[in-house]
Amino acid sequence: MKIQADVGNPFRETPAGAHQRRFETGIRRALAMLTVLLILPLVAILGHLLIEAWPALRWSLLWESPRNGMKDGGLWPALVGTLYLVGLSLAAATPVGVAAAVYLHEYARDSWLNRVIQMAVINLAGVPSIVHALFGLGAFVYAARLGYSVLAASLTLAVMTLPVIITSTREALAAVPMSFREACWNVGATRWQTLRAVVLPNALPGILTGVILQVSRAAGETAPILFTGAVFYKSVQSGDIFAYRLDEQCMALAMHLYTLATQVPGVRPALPAATAITLLGVVVFVNAAAILVRTRTRSHRRW
Amino acid sequence: MVNLAQAWAEAYAGVEPGVRVEVSGGGSGVGVAALIRGSADLANSSRDLKASEAEAALKATGKEPREYVVGYDALAIYVHRDNPLESITLEQLRELFAVDGRISRWSELGVRLPNPRHDRIVRVGRQSSGGTFEFLRHRVLEDRDFRLGTLELNGSKEVVELIANTPTAIGYSGMGYAVAGVKLLRVAERVGDEAVAPSPEATISGRYPIARSLLVYGLGEPRPEVKAYLAWILSDAGQGWLTVTGFVPVPPERRQPGGRLVEVSR
Repeated sequence: MKIQADVGNPFRETPAGAHQRRFETGIRRALAMLTVLLILPLVAILGHLLIEAWPALRWSLLWESPRNGMKDGGLWPALVGTLYLVGLSLAAATPVGVAAAVYLHEYARDSWLNRVIQMAVINLAGVPSIVHALFGLGAFVYAARLGYSVLAASLTLAVMTLPVIITSTREALAAVPMSFREACWNVGATRWQTLRAVVLPNALPGILTGVILQVSRAAGETAPILFTGAVFYKSVQSGDIFAYRLDEQCMALAMHLYTLATQVPGVRPALPAATAITLLGVVVFVNAAAILVRTRTRSHRRW
Repeated sequence: MVNLAQAWAEAYAGVEPGVRVEVSGGGSGVGVAALIRGSADLANSSRDLKASEAEAALKATGKEPREYVVGYDALAIYVHRDNPLESITLEQLRELFAVDGRISRWSELGVRLPNPRHDRIVRVGRQSSGGTFEFLRHRVLEDRDFRLGTLELNGSKEVVELIANTPTAIGYSGMGYAVAGVKLLRVAERVGDEAVAPSPEATISGRYPIARSLLVYGLGEPRPEVKAYLAWILSDAGQGWLTVTGFVPVPPERRQPGGRLVEVSR
């Protein structure tokens, strides 16, 4: 009987193993590359906009009114209009959305009606904005007799943002462990007391995230406000905070961008690009502020 | 015409700071519809009010529409700067744009292109809510429909910019929208007539065949603020903005600040 003495190093890689390893590395690199490719559009868009907008970028853009047929001057009326619209729409949508989510998640039983409501909320989130625009025109401008106004446009935006606020609030509530609620109930607290003292404070960062996400959506949408309250031009004093009454129409950045790019002859290409940068800036600024609030509230959390 | 309205609104803020003018765009039809609904005090229009619109306005608001002539505009026919074509007749325009028109190639207008593949004419115009669309349909096409395949764009500016970037395109737009890359054709009523280039003088004298009035419509007797605004528009200060925006001001002797009641058949 012959004993095979030399089996070689048992830890040495077999040809099949080496092949598999190379294959794994290849896959990892390919996936990493695709991820990098994802950043490209963002970099390209921002870079292109910045280069285009460079000659027109200056701080006075933010508080000056347009001049000379909107070919010169700043963006103040559009900027303040966008702030009005976003602020009002979130002020209207957040309480309603949060209340609805609290009811659905904390109070409602799993009934037939509730499942229908949840389906409706999810589907509402998928409705294209132009359909919301048409709804806003019929419901707020005509039926509610608000006319073409800041108020009608804000409410239309609020209806549009509502489903996402409801969904994200529900998820934030679901992330609060059940044991927290049970502990609270066990010391004799009612549902509402539990909600106020334990559940809502713990869910707040998640709720804020949902609301923040809607800022950029509300600021960027053009269709709903075009139908319900945005105008081509309105003369407004430079830097006037109270530029619009709620029953007046207003300018907005998204609409102004469209106007400059397609309707006004002889506009320097830098101006629409600078408008786009300003719109992005508003969104980033609001998001950053809200993220700051969120991290602060989250740091107080003790679990 | 929305740019004229915008220029007025901007300038009027310096005249009467207490009155703030809102301007919405979208075309003459949009403005007239807003007037009928009562959501606008004044509707600017580059075409006459239709009888049906006047009736609808009277029915909806109980007030009779009133028309103010605030300026004139020559509807220019634009081609690319490098196009050798210099003039065109209304007959040719009709054959080009009307639904039963027979001209669809540059060679049929006497223009020879080095590459026969580019011979097809790209026709550019306005969307159907624009007054420019309605005016051309009535004045040039004799109320026939536009031919399919005409690019209908949302603004006068877009029309001219597309032509500046498309050597084989032809289109129509107000004279004031001209940019560096385009040429304005001289227009003749019919073959043999003198072809006239669009200009303020030719527009006022009526020698340029496709000129039109720029109109503002209101309802009933205007409110004091609106009345003051209209008076300012027809003053020398307001009329100066027509020249700036590429339109033609109303000569002083033809200005009528009181406007004219539109006849409504009942």
